[in-house]
Amino acid sequence: MSILNKLIKLFHSVKDQNLKWQLANQGDQTKLKHARVLAEKALEAELKKKSVQLEHDISLLRTKHDAELSMFKTKCRQDVKDYKQYLAALDQLKSSIQSSYTHLPEAVAFTIHHHAKYLLNKMWEAEDFEQKMQHEMRLIRFMTTVHEDARLHLEGATTDNLPERTLNLIEQQ
Amino acid sequence: MILASLPVFLLVELLLWLAVPGLPGILTALATAMLLSGFAVLIIAGLWGVGKIIVRSVLDYFSAKQRAQRRLWFIQARRDQLKRLFYFKTRQIKYFNELSRKRLLQLNNRKHIRSLSKAIDKDLLSIKTKLPGTTYQQLKQDHARYRNRQDIEALLTLQQKIATLV
Repeated sequence: MSILNKLIKLFHSVKDQNLKWQLANQGDQTKLKHARVLAEKALEAELKKKSVQLEHDISLLRTKHDAELSMFKTKCRQDVKDYKQYLAALDQLKSSIQSSYTHLPEAVAFTIHHHAKYLLNKMWEAEDFEQKMQHEMRLIRFMTTVHEDARLHLEGATTDNLPERTLNLIEQQ
Repeated sequence: MILASLPVFLLVELLLWLAVPGLPGILTALATAMLLSGFAVLIIAGLWGVGKIIVRSVLDYFSAKQRAQRRLWFIQARRDQLKRLFYFKTRQIKYFNELSRKRLLQLNNRKHIRSLSKAIDKDLLSIKTKLPGTTYQQLKQDHARYRNRQDIEALLTLQQKIATLV
């Protein structure tokens, strides 16, 4: 019986101590709880603020993207139009050289035109601006040479049957 | 409680060895009850703990903080998706632009190949009488083949060949 009593006493003393500890630290505990709740609230508010900010950013981004896309589309359309004009100019080049050299074989005219188109495509497909400029210079030089040849022949300044300077330029390149 | 039942079982063994009558039966029942109740307590405590953990995690999952966090992640994902979409849209526009440019180029190529092939036809006809029949047929076939293949190089060499034949 004494063992049982001792056990019950031990149990009670443990409970007492626990109660005392709780009483002593009640203030701290409530403070801690309060602080935890406050921190959670603050975190939540911050997250919400971030969300709102992000939503705003998204709407800005969307309008920006829309504007950029439509600009890019217009630019691309313009690009294709330019390309078309370039092709028309090259066709014109061919017909001009054919009209001044009346006995020019079709194959030569074709080669000249084909080379011009090759240069045009090189220019179009160049990745960086500098290369593009270089190719454009080459194309322009080529076109001026062809026109020059045609003009000289038409004026009777040369007696060549073929646009030699143009063909030389093709050989070089 | 489980550990406490072990010495009781040992005691039963000892009493059996000493051949004490009556006591071992009661002690065996006591030890078994102790063992089983010990297991029961263990299981109940385990279940209680698991239940507590589940309830706590469910509450945490639906807490305001977690909901706000999830919402933030969702919006971030939407922003990233928007960025990716922009990139792919630009790629798409570029691709279609390139396609229409290639189509223009091809149309132009075809037009000029047609005029070249017409010239070759004319040249061939003009030297038809000077050539043996088989050579003429061969050249004509070659011409048709190259034209169908849109093979510029081959057409040009064919033209040169015809020019040298005259």
